[in-house]
Amino acid sequence: MNNNNQAHPDTEVPTVHHIAVNDQPQGFPASSDLSVLVAMERAGQQLISVGCRGGGCGKCRIRIVQGEYFSKRMSRAWISPQQEDEGTVLACRVFARSDLVIEPDPPEIGTHCQPQDQPDCD
Amino acid sequence: MKKGVMRPGHVQIRVLDMDEALKHYVELLGLIEVDRDDQGRVYLKGWTEVDKFSVVLREADEAGMDFMGFKCLDESVLDNLHEGLKAFGCAVDEIPEGELKDCGRRLRFTAPSGHDFELYATKQQTGKWGVGNHNPEAWPRGLQGIKATRFDHCLLYGTDLDKTLDLFRDVLGFDLAEQVVTPDGKRVAQFLTASMKAHDVAFIDHPEPGKFHHASFFLETWEDVLRAADLISMTDTSIDIGPTRHGLTHGKTIYFFDPSGNRTEVFCGGDYHYPDHEPVTWDADKLGKAIFYHDRQLNERFLTALT
Repeated sequence: MNNNNQAHPDTEVPTVHHIAVNDQPQGFPASSDLSVLVAMERAGQQLISVGCRGGGCGKCRIRIVQGEYFSKRMSRAWISPQQEDEGTVLACRVFARSDLVIEPDPPEIGTHCQPQDQPDCD
Repeated sequence: MKKGVMRPGHVQIRVLDMDEALKHYVELLGLIEVDRDDQGRVYLKGWTEVDKFSVVLREADEAGMDFMGFKCLDESVLDNLHEGLKAFGCAVDEIPEGELKDCGRRLRFTAPSGHDFELYATKQQTGKWGVGNHNPEAWPRGLQGIKATRFDHCLLYGTDLDKTLDLFRDVLGFDLAEQVVTPDGKRVAQFLTASMKAHDVAFIDHPEPGKFHHASFFLETWEDVLRAADLISMTDTSIDIGPTRHGLTHGKTIYFFDPSGNRTEVFCGGDYHYPDHEPVTWDADKLGKAIFYHDRQLNERFLTALT
């Protein structure tokens, strides 16, 4: 799932970087032409919540603790300019340019309905 | 009782990148680009729509919906509804003719759900795309992708469903076609119609006002929905869920995301509603089946991935 995310300015042959998740034993490989989120999905892992994959819903918010990356526009509803400067990003809009160390930072999204099998609503 | 509101007429959606958005809405969904304006907004329509446009895309740094507009029978209806909105306590902005290209004056107000809506009565009629209205052929050649026929409705997440229903029913003349109710009688979802369609706009109870769940576009057949699913896979487009059937409205559906994270639905079929019909009611403990009739389980993303 790329949502045209491969249309980024890097025209070189894609290189594969390693994404490590703080406090987690497993990481995953991420090709530089895939968003970090889509790379995680293709590796069959669930370390980051998956939402819209388009930078709009905020569910895949992470902090990049270490490493170089390229990012596309992310909804200001979830990432302020200051957060962006400090490495808080949406995983669906960032592309690794080196090995990365990340930590999930999902926003609180309230709901009045519960996604259980037979959900109750308050 | 009908008050002269005819149909959903347009929706303005915020996108993070216009070129990417047009790949989604034109090349994949199959809407037709009909115009652009000096603000950079792009105007689109489904091929069966007689009015000039129904979807307006605006590039912004936040995804979501700017407003949804309903077309009314004529200008005198607008004047009557303006009085009704003021009496209800809504602040109404009069947006002059031409602010949206080839659209007449619009009355803009914020519903208790936190969403901006508009009423208007005049928009240039350019006719169906590629077919006339005199001995017309069945469909035009040259459509792209999913070939969406028309903008159908929006589902919106927001606050104060009761007062929002009062506004849409009592002031604007919508009917409550379908609802989801908790054991203690609280309505957590409401599907409203100004026509015979199962819904022209729907609301789900949510702690944060003004959130956008999806804009929906109509297809003719289940085969068309399956073909849409094929195209979504062929293009590696971000999928949410489907193809499946809803319990609510019984429409056959698939959900996917535009490249800015706004959800799109294409669907076919579904129930109909006349003004003498009682609302259809689902119990909240059957919400899984009400939303996804086959899986009978809600996925968390459907409830919380919003723009």
